[in-house]
Amino acid sequence: MVTITPGGDGLHLRQAGIGRVFRAIVLIIVGAFFLIPILASARYSVLGLHGHLTLSAYRSLFADPSFRSSLWLSLQVAILTVILTGLLVIPTSIWVTVRIPKLRGLLDALSIVPLGVPSVVVVLGLLGAYHSILNLILTSPFILAPIYVMLALPYSYRTFDTAVRSLDVNTLVEASQSLGASWTRTLISVLLPNLRAGMIGALILAGAYALGEFVVASLLSFNTFPVFIVQIGLTAAAEAVAVSLVALLVAFIPLSLVTILGGGRSKNMRRSVGVTG
Amino acid sequence: MVSTLTHNREESSPSSPPRPRRRRALGRYGGVVPYLVFLLIFLLIPAFSVLIGAFESNDGKPTLANLRLAFSGPYLHSFVASFELSIGSTIIAVVVGFVAALAVAATRGRPRALVQSSSSVLANTGGVPLAFAFIATLGNFGIVTKVLSSMGINLYAHGFSLYSVVGLIIVYQYFLIPVMILVMLGPIQNIRSAWVEAARSLGASKLRFWWSVGLPILSPAILSGTVVIFADAFAAYATAEALTSGTLPLVPIQIGSLISGNVAAGEGNLGNALGLGMIVVVALAATVYVLSQRRASRWLR
Repeated sequence: MVTITPGGDGLHLRQAGIGRVFRAIVLIIVGAFFLIPILASARYSVLGLHGHLTLSAYRSLFADPSFRSSLWLSLQVAILTVILTGLLVIPTSIWVTVRIPKLRGLLDALSIVPLGVPSVVVVLGLLGAYHSILNLILTSPFILAPIYVMLALPYSYRTFDTAVRSLDVNTLVEASQSLGASWTRTLISVLLPNLRAGMIGALILAGAYALGEFVVASLLSFNTFPVFIVQIGLTAAAEAVAVSLVALLVAFIPLSLVTILGGGRSKNMRRSVGVTG
Repeated sequence: MVSTLTHNREESSPSSPPRPRRRRALGRYGGVVPYLVFLLIFLLIPAFSVLIGAFESNDGKPTLANLRLAFSGPYLHSFVASFELSIGSTIIAVVVGFVAALAVAATRGRPRALVQSSSSVLANTGGVPLAFAFIATLGNFGIVTKVLSSMGINLYAHGFSLYSVVGLIIVYQYFLIPVMILVMLGPIQNIRSAWVEAARSLGASKLRFWWSVGLPILSPAILSGTVVIFADAFAAYATAEALTSGTLPLVPIQIGSLISGNVAAGEGNLGNALGLGMIVVVALAATVYVLSQRRASRWLR
């Protein structure tokens, strides 16, 4: 049986001139650009400037108490970010779909507003708006979590909302309620299991954002992991490169999970485009 | 179908007893209140504070002095540097990313999935770790610098520096090219083989197909990719800060140093004026993006 999927195997693109030679040249050049910095980091982290093989960079890194404390702080903030995202994004997106579909466009638009306000400016605004109660709210590093929830909304909200849209939520709710299920029961036993992939994707994106964020933490003077990397970079280059390499590789794990769970659908891919700062 | 159900549900829902209309509306909208309050506290009030602060003197009187200062002298220069950086980065990332997306879309199966997943990782990673990876690569003692100098090409003697606008443009490609690949892969894969065949059977050359059919169809997606990348490059702070320790005068870096310097002393309002400038630039970019998305979706059906 022949299935016709547009662009499925790219055959017609090859017929349209994207030939083997073209592809090979492009993929080798672009691939080299992306691989060389990672290989160079790996080499530098074990050889240093002098070319002697040593793991001292990694050893002194793990011996550094602020390595562990900053990593632990980042992990705590990330977990809190994930929990808050779960409490805020998931109920809101489902609620608006089922109860007030009119507001859907508005919430959708609001969720991408953080992309239009650079995070430096967000910090500026937070300090300006709340400077009088600054000492009360901005002294605990956990204030970072709600800020990250907000900054990650363009990714988390849209990822989850895409999943909600691809499901016929109203029919499911209708069916569940006509069988006598309560709202909570409908949510827990019917909707969430169907939205699991979108939910996990959204939460992982929020957590990954929180783990990698530098701007807000640095400007509010909290020693999170990315802030630690920059500080160590000022004094110990080999350690900084080593820890950066680890951080880059670790980032691949959660985000690869999102990609696998999100499936290869082009709509998802267009929505998962991110912003780095 | 869906909309019929939505309308019927209100009346036919067996589990909800009849309640006064107003209370039901309150209950209905109540579900989104926490989300809206959250956005109000952490996004809208701060943004409003930047807007107000930009037009306020240090003793709270309305003034245009902050804006005048923000768009003159060294601060105007930082806007120019930021524009150079983002425009340069955008042009390279759009062209390279588009060509790479074409090459990836024309390959079969596994490599394409690999590129897709690693692109979404790289587009979201970057930042601080990236800066140090590039120092190990193209810094004064980086491996590529050394290899090239052993071949007789001394990059740093020819005026190249990783810690300059040109250097940052190269580093930014690491997270901008993946963004372009992600934006373009879907639309490119949606090009129908029928269009290729039709153009070919009408005698169009391969180049003519791309010029007269491919590019016009892809142009909204290319435009929206361009805008996303521009905004991304314009707002990026972490990479530049980690790489240059804040010595390169970019707008985000300037704002950052004003924040860490002394907000209480009242320099904050100059920061607010710069911040307003950034919001305006990025918001313009976002508007173009939304408009082009709307156009792009016409072809994706």
